[in-house]
Amino acid sequence: MEQVFLKYIDDPNQHKIDTYIEHGGYQAIQKVFKEYQPTEVIDTVKASGVRGRGGAGFPAGLKWSFVPQNTGKPIYLACNGDESEPGTCKDRVIMENNPHLIIEGIMICCYAINAHHAFIYIRGEFAHPAARVEAAINEAYAKGYLGKNIFGTGFDLDIIVHTGGGAYICGEETSLLSSIEGSRGNARIRPPFPAVEGLYKCPTVINNVETLSSLPSIFNNGVEWYRSHGTEKSPGTKIFSLSGNVNKPGNYEVDLGTPLSYVINDLGGGIQNGHKLKAIIPGGSSTPLLMPDQIDTPLDYEAVAEAGSMLGSGAIIVIDERSCMVWVLMKLINFYAHESCGRCTPCREGTAWLKQLINRIENGDGQPGDIELILDVCDNIMGRTICPLGDAAVMPVRSFIQHFRDEFEYHIEHKKCKVETDYPFV
Amino acid sequence: MQGRNGLPVCVKNMSDNGKEKEQVTLTIDGKEISVDKGTTVLDAATLMGIHIPTFCWHPKLDSIGACRMCLVDVEKFPKPAVACATEAMPGMIVRTDTDEIVKARRGVLEFMLLNHPLDCPTCDKGGECDLQDNVFHYGIDKSRQAFTRRRVIDDQTTDAFDDKRIGPEIIRNMNRCVTCYKCIRFNKEIAGEYDLGAYERGNHTVIDAAPGEQIDNFYSGNVVEICPVGALTNTDWRYKIRNWKAKQTLSLCSHDADGQNIMLWHDQRQLWRATSRRNDDIDDGWICNIARYGYQYINSPDRLKTPLIKKEGKQVPASWDEAISLISKRFKEIKDSKGSVCLAGLIGGNQSVETAYLFNKFFRNKLHTNNLDYRLEYIDLKGSDETEAYNCLYRAPFTIADLEQADVVFVFGSNFIKDHPAINLRLRKAYRKFGTKVYTANPVETKSADISLDEMIYSPDTETAFIAGLIHAIIDNKYYKNIDETKAAEVKTMLAPATLDEAARLCGIEQERIVNLAKVLSEANNPYILAGDYFVASAKRHRTANGMYDLANLLGIKDSNAIILASQANSMGADRVGVRPRLTENLKKTLIDKWGEELPESPGSNTSQILNNSLDEEIDGLFILGANPAMRYPDGPFVNSALDKLDFLVVADLFETATSAKADVVLPLAGWAEQSGAYVNVEGRYQKFEKAQDADKGIKSGIEIIHSIARAMDLSLNLDNAALMHETKDIVDAFEREARDEAKFFEVKQAQIPEHDNYPYRLLVGNDIHHFGYVTEHCPSLMRFTPEPYLEISPNLAEKLGIDEETLVRIESTTGKLVLKARFSEYFEGDVLFIPNNFSATEVTGLVSREGGGWVKIEKLDDK
Amino acid sequence: MILKESTIKEIKTRMERYPSRRSAILPALTAAYRQVGHLDNAVYKEISRVIEIPYVEIAEAATFYTMFPKHEVGKYLIQVCHNISCSLRGADNMLIYMQEKLGIKMGETTDDNLFTLISVECLGGCSAAPMMQINQDYYEDLSREKIDTIFADLRAKAEEEGK
Repeated sequence: MEQVFLKYIDDPNQHKIDTYIEHGGYQAIQKVFKEYQPTEVIDTVKASGVRGRGGAGFPAGLKWSFVPQNTGKPIYLACNGDESEPGTCKDRVIMENNPHLIIEGIMICCYAINAHHAFIYIRGEFAHPAARVEAAINEAYAKGYLGKNIFGTGFDLDIIVHTGGGAYICGEETSLLSSIEGSRGNARIRPPFPAVEGLYKCPTVINNVETLSSLPSIFNNGVEWYRSHGTEKSPGTKIFSLSGNVNKPGNYEVDLGTPLSYVINDLGGGIQNGHKLKAIIPGGSSTPLLMPDQIDTPLDYEAVAEAGSMLGSGAIIVIDERSCMVWVLMKLINFYAHESCGRCTPCREGTAWLKQLINRIENGDGQPGDIELILDVCDNIMGRTICPLGDAAVMPVRSFIQHFRDEFEYHIEHKKCKVETDYPFV
Repeated sequence: MQGRNGLPVCVKNMSDNGKEKEQVTLTIDGKEISVDKGTTVLDAATLMGIHIPTFCWHPKLDSIGACRMCLVDVEKFPKPAVACATEAMPGMIVRTDTDEIVKARRGVLEFMLLNHPLDCPTCDKGGECDLQDNVFHYGIDKSRQAFTRRRVIDDQTTDAFDDKRIGPEIIRNMNRCVTCYKCIRFNKEIAGEYDLGAYERGNHTVIDAAPGEQIDNFYSGNVVEICPVGALTNTDWRYKIRNWKAKQTLSLCSHDADGQNIMLWHDQRQLWRATSRRNDDIDDGWICNIARYGYQYINSPDRLKTPLIKKEGKQVPASWDEAISLISKRFKEIKDSKGSVCLAGLIGGNQSVETAYLFNKFFRNKLHTNNLDYRLEYIDLKGSDETEAYNCLYRAPFTIADLEQADVVFVFGSNFIKDHPAINLRLRKAYRKFGTKVYTANPVETKSADISLDEMIYSPDTETAFIAGLIHAIIDNKYYKNIDETKAAEVKTMLAPATLDEAARLCGIEQERIVNLAKVLSEANNPYILAGDYFVASAKRHRTANGMYDLANLLGIKDSNAIILASQANSMGADRVGVRPRLTENLKKTLIDKWGEELPESPGSNTSQILNNSLDEEIDGLFILGANPAMRYPDGPFVNSALDKLDFLVVADLFETATSAKADVVLPLAGWAEQSGAYVNVEGRYQKFEKAQDADKGIKSGIEIIHSIARAMDLSLNLDNAALMHETKDIVDAFEREARDEAKFFEVKQAQIPEHDNYPYRLLVGNDIHHFGYVTEHCPSLMRFTPEPYLEISPNLAEKLGIDEETLVRIESTTGKLVLKARFSEYFEGDVLFIPNNFSATEVTGLVSREGGGWVKIEKLDDK
Repeated sequence: MILKESTIKEIKTRMERYPSRRSAILPALTAAYRQVGHLDNAVYKEISRVIEIPYVEIAEAATFYTMFPKHEVGKYLIQVCHNISCSLRGADNMLIYMQEKLGIKMGETTDDNLFTLISVECLGGCSAAPMMQINQDYYEDLSREKIDTIFADLRAKAEEEGK
């Protein structure tokens, strides 16, 4: 299968500018500068149908078109490399292996939206990926690809790497902006939407690393080529981070619409040690479960939604028969309670309460009625919070109980797991 | 633009001013309403009488939509929206009462109660708690909480309720907190203070003072008042009385001139607290700590409760009858033997306008003397008060709220937060919300520096040179309006120093900065110049006032926009009813009409002249009502010897003071809360306050005292309280001021700055930030913020002189000496010092001359 | 002063790139953490002076982020992912093994001040689970043998540096 992001994954020098150029890098941006007006760039990106790879799947070109021009304020681009959704490690591989691809994508976007200042927000733990990206930026500056008057076009662009400090919430776009501004990473209410009033109260576009990295390929190969990958509504390729109980976990780039079974069985080598598949989280920890009978679901936004879940960030977490679903959910809810920013009441208090309730079931102290209570607490969080973290915490809770209610009931009644668990460490 | 915290500040769009607002029509709970574009759904609902519950919303803070209590259903919205931050849109259909919304709100309340200690019986907020009210309304009566409630405990929380003191007046109980962030938002957004924060995250979020520090900023009391629960309470009031048992009385701050509106909470016995009584024209609902805690002197155990009469050199208790008849006898004797010109009256600037008027009427109309004044504060220096320019600017028709429309405000000679707490916040609001540009010029850096685009620090006593320099810059660069070149050239000859270069060098500010300010002011559509206490207290304020007058005329600044701000609660009131020797023609006419008699012909003496004349034995009888010149007026030794020389001194006051110690008769005076009356604030706004409590039997109001003396002298004033109120109001309303004459220009000449070879440091004297005048040392809460006097000194000067913080320093001037502890100030640089004059034990006025302020030398006191 | 000249210089260089000096808060915390090994009030005070942002704002931001330890830790801060993908591949048992190996419990520091062991949420190494981060470095696809080697190497390195 043709690859965009991971094509040169095996070349240890791909992160260097000369190698990147050798492999056809920085051609797209020069073409864009020469042949396209900014609005034409936006139109092309719209036509390509490329959708946000951060999780929401919002059409990138459409997002850009919301940015008001001529407000007298500068326009900013924030590239989201906060990658913290459990299961997800796809942006990291681009940042480490192919940082110039991101830079070129950022250049195209900035030209299109008339931004001269871009930020790459990289989660703080990614010290090495951040160093790679920063080194790449320095190389680009040295070549005159960044800074003033790029390629003699009169276009100026500065890119700043901003590293986080350990907060999942900063991957949420308004929190990310708060964090770049130096504030606590609290989510903000919308409106105003970032496109109108974002970073430093100026119009701001926020795009995921993978989204921006898609752009050079669109301009190098054309819209038609791009659309030849993926499906009608979900065009292009995408990296899926395969993790959990599979034989060969890893990052795999495939066309959107590729069956889930292909990724798990053909690329991932099937379920770990021949165990039986129990459930799949298809798009990062916040997406609802897919069951074994849904393993042929095509991996595109529409099909996964139709199957009752979300493509999300493309993090496929495979759970086999050895796991107790109460225990797995506990791992997830502990995460969300830890990562709630504390700004709004339902998320701050609700996730902490869910954590207490689910932990007590796992610990054998569950009480009759706990499941109903948990679901009611979920109802009081879902759709009531400032940002999507509340929903993200609730969706797996509901899904786990929906599909594995028996395991929760058993746990409450018998104070132990229904299944024979085994989480071996070799 | 970047604020102190580095956050962006909006840029003013003047074209929005005065535009008719577009209307939008929406439907809430089935009823249509039209509101201004930009109105929130919450405000629209409130206008219709539909109550939407909130916690984190506050009318004067930016909405953050955090508590999620105000969720409403909006048709076509995918999920409930927060009413507090959802803008009303045309055709919007909102429901506030669906089952889903009620469930959402109950859900939020359950979350809030989850870890709440439910300690209502011992919580001071009981009865005025939003959480209690909302839970009551939504009927949450069952708990599903099965876990141990979270308690926030650290090494400073007390055992009983997990309380923690986080400031001189503030107790935090984190267990009760609903994390609405209102306290922090107020602190940062409104006050621009950074001593309170939120730490950690998620449900571990805690609100606390800056680590290792205290929340002690000047507006900190507001954070308690806006706390929706009992998480923040203040020690002033807590555990003393349940709020529903306290009566509420409309009142005003009795100290500074801004006229902050307050509510006094009290029972029969005493005042318990003061809270804000939002007045958007003045204070927006925020009050400073002096307005909040400054009522406490009324209930001080040190209050005078019986008259004192000096017998054989000692003041001994006496009856009111005895005291009044002695006053009457002695005043009559002086009047009959030496004439009315030998009697004089001085009244404090925070007596009610009725008292001030009656005082005036008694002295002018009954005793027939023009010797009276209300300006007897440290800032009221000799002989500089009666110039045309000064009076014109002092009485300018300024309105606080209009500052929001200013595009440039130049604050000249004022530590604004201290001098004008409400105007200061309004200026900050104008800066933050409306993009107003602020410039400042002061003898030391002030707290306004963070919003000032250029805080210029001029050398001591060079105010006149600074303004002359500004005028030079305007003329040299042809920034002036309304005059021609010939006139401009003529004005230039009236200036000293004669060039911008010389002026700039003298005041120690680079020319470019002065030119830049001139340019900014000339380009502004609606600029303001506000002068405060440093200006007023400067040695040659009348010369500087001339400059300000010229400047306003040169730039065509509106009459209302250039003002010398009054300093005390009723300074403007006393001025308007004529408590000063010389009156405007208009006021003379009003008084003659009212009284049906001509006014006394003698020229009359102002404070300085009265004291001088006392020293020269030309004034024999003096009545001082509610003022303490021996402590507050410059040159203490001079004031003391003047008072000593008097034949007969009557002092009416709430406390025994340095001044009352000199008196032949001391009368216990009622405080403002013990009577009804009115103050006229800095804007000239007449505002009433009500009586909150009865004074002790041994205490009388100023009005009663004046009436008693008049009656005893057979000079009945014939005015009952209602008539007095009317008559006073008539006089205040009849006030007319001649507008600034735009064609008129005065000389602006910097006075020679005397040599101070042996006294190299300029001493500034004034109010401590948490004190005002001489009564606040009787307010325990304020004493907790600043318990004792100090010498404020720059760290670099201290280092030069080997002075450590908190060590004793001897300060000496030609007139006196003092020993005080040194305190370093981040705002001070170089050779300027500051001592507060609010402490009776410190005779700081002894260091200050009447002519030119204070020049001192200091040395470290040997460690013994 | 706690912060070295080089740290202050780095903070200032980064600060100048932003449209607002406030944005330098996180870069400053990161630089200070890398130099000092942890953050505390004294560090916040110094950062406040360097970037001229109120002290409380630094403390508020710092305590929001969990990556920076707020008290002294060992030379090597071991942060073990205990989230879903790592747990499915034995992170819990790995943690037990590591505690035994180091002779400390979670949150503790070894007597020689070399290792502090804590567990953290997802570090974004899910496809190479189980994994951990020691100071700035990621260690992935962990096994007992690998852990033994890593600890031994770090001990040796520390000894080398100690000489």
